[in-house]
Amino acid sequence: MQRIPQPPVNPALRDVEGHDFWPGFIVAVIGLILAFCGARHLTAVDTVDGGNAWETQLVKAFSFDGLQYADKMSPPPPPRGDDPEAMERWARETREAKAPTWKVRVDTAAKTPCPT
Amino acid sequence: MECPVPECRQRPPTELGRKLKRIRPWVQTGFLGVWLAPLGQWLHGIPSCVFHCYSCPLSSFGCPIGIAANYAALAPVALEVPYLLLGLLLLVGAVTGSLACGWACPFGFLQDLLGKIPIRKVALPAWVGHTRYVVLVGLVILLPLILGFKGIPYGDQMISICRLCPAGALEAGLPTSAQSVMAGNGWPMSWFKTLILVAFLASALFVHRPWCRIFCPLGGLLALFNRLSLFHLRFNPKECVECNLCRSRCPMGVHVDEKVNVSGCIRCLECSTCGALEPCFAVPKQAPKPTMPPK
Repeated sequence: MQRIPQPPVNPALRDVEGHDFWPGFIVAVIGLILAFCGARHLTAVDTVDGGNAWETQLVKAFSFDGLQYADKMSPPPPPRGDDPEAMERWARETREAKAPTWKVRVDTAAKTPCPT
Repeated sequence: MECPVPECRQRPPTELGRKLKRIRPWVQTGFLGVWLAPLGQWLHGIPSCVFHCYSCPLSSFGCPIGIAANYAALAPVALEVPYLLLGLLLLVGAVTGSLACGWACPFGFLQDLLGKIPIRKVALPAWVGHTRYVVLVGLVILLPLILGFKGIPYGDQMISICRLCPAGALEAGLPTSAQSVMAGNGWPMSWFKTLILVAFLASALFVHRPWCRIFCPLGGLLALFNRLSLFHLRFNPKECVECNLCRSRCPMGVHVDEKVNVSGCIRCLECSTCGALEPCFAVPKQAPKPTMPPK
């Protein structure tokens, strides 16, 4: 430890820096109410299973790569093998597939760690 | 440099200061067990109040900065208010200020350990702390908000701060890469991220808590509450002998002898060793009792 010499600060004139109770208390209460509301908050984001996601499910989806964006959804892969019937069915389904009505949704079962 | 106050050399540290200094590493170790709990993955839905990567295979709770950046990235598609995150940060900030940085943050603890390696430390000017707010507003909020889930043009990552975060490189990238190397699949972590990790580890040897002092957006946010938090440090002028032990002990380079509840402080309480700075909780002031008029 390197001792730093005292600058010309007079302790008798220095602010005591005692905090008032109420500002901290009021902010803490606001925080507590927000946290409680957040824990019970149903977001506008859909889940894969249907229904809306809880805020905790949405937060969990961030860390487990559980968010699905409609723009990034890729069509199903073509069937393997040389079955022309299956190939035709796949081509028809891909052609007739409508754009999803959702923009983003939560896969609550996702378990992949976020690709940090 | 010689201390100008002759009596300070004889002055022993206070009992409280000694006790706090002794128990702090143990408290930090205990909190490490909370944030890195292998069975705690079900807690990922709840944000923590410290800086640690939720992609770590052992992590419990969510990284508040990662969550904030994800909310910002989600905003162009679905505007959601992170009530839980805001509430928890307000609550922790209003009650303890940046105490979590000094006593609970696993990333800060790692930097404390690296800082114990006896290499002469470089002193940083106080203004570098403002960079934390640039990171908070620029990288955590604005960049994901503007670019949304399309992300920055670097790989397929959508969150900008996570791309640059050394905690992510250390807690998630390093174990994953080590596993991959052991399986014979090479080093998957990008050279950019590896470079950030190496630069961070090297800088922690020469600067005390470099991440916390220059870049940490969470530390910057919690430190804003230091001016009003219920837990705070109070100056007792009667105990001050002008020895300046408080400022000399401060690892964060805060001018403790002038003002202590400032944004650069991580509330490690090292400065309380001298006895003139006392950790305390704010209590409601009692109204003065009415005195009986003299008969």
